[in-house]
Amino acid sequence: MSEEEKKDITPEQTTEEEKPRQIHGGRNLMILGIGAIAIAMITTSVSLYFYRSSGDIYLDRSRPGYISDGEKHDDEDEGDEDFSNEGEVTQEVLDEYLTELDSINGRLRAHENNFSADQLSDDALGIYQPTEEYF
Amino acid sequence: MQKGIKYATFIFALILVFSPSATAIDHRELSEEEVGIVSQNCSSIKVRLQRVQKDDARNRVFLGSQYETIASKLMLNLNLRLVKNGMASASLAEQQTTFMSERDRFKNDFIGYSQEFENLLNMNCKDEPEKFYRQLELVRAKRADVDASMQRLKSIISLHYESVTDLRNNL
Repeated sequence: MSEEEKKDITPEQTTEEEKPRQIHGGRNLMILGIGAIAIAMITTSVSLYFYRSSGDIYLDRSRPGYISDGEKHDDEDEGDEDFSNEGEVTQEVLDEYLTELDSINGRLRAHENNFSADQLSDDALGIYQPTEEYF
Repeated sequence: MQKGIKYATFIFALILVFSPSATAIDHRELSEEEVGIVSQNCSSIKVRLQRVQKDDARNRVFLGSQYETIASKLMLNLNLRLVKNGMASASLAEQQTTFMSERDRFKNDFIGYSQEFENLLNMNCKDEPEKFYRQLELVRAKRADVDASMQRLKSIISLHYESVTDLRNNL
């Protein structure tokens, strides 16, 4: 391109390479911040969805407001039943095993009505059950 | 005797595997008076339900820990010890497997029950008492499933106790 031709080019015709590159620092930082928040929100929502849909939410005792240490059963920490998988198998060893099994079974027997229908009966909830006289 | 226990364990395992979760719902129509009572006492019914929900959570944690101890610290270790001593028992191994499956079922039944319970607590019993009561009936049926699972676990423990006693007497 001759010198004269160069003079004829208006500022609007300047090519991209020749333009000084503008850096939008503030705008990029904002995009980065919003993007990071959006990604965090999406991943947290997905995690919470699986936490709830898998049912883990109902089993997780560390869930805030679910069960505190003071609310657990008194006999929950009782017993340290264990049986070694090493050694001989004798009558004494099996007696020991049966004692340990019986100990846990005793605790379970004390809680065998934990899921009985009574707690959710109409009477327990205060819903009036009409008597025969009612009809 | 040992053969009898073996057959009993096998039949018990078959029944457990093929028995579906029942969830039979016995619907009852509320009278107009009862509908009014549910609507009127909505908040006090919910308070009672929340108390039951909290108790259930504690009970599940307690039962879960006891079942875990039986499965992993007792049954598993006994079977390993028997294998190491060349005394492996098919019926005891089967009882362990059945117990572990039933324990998982107990957990799943409890999850299903808790989900329906939460749906119940989120319902508006003041404005929709009949719908609320139908959901309550579903929750009761789910609770019966959890209870049935507990009873099955109890039976497996009893059977296991008998089997080990029998093994001990034959040594």
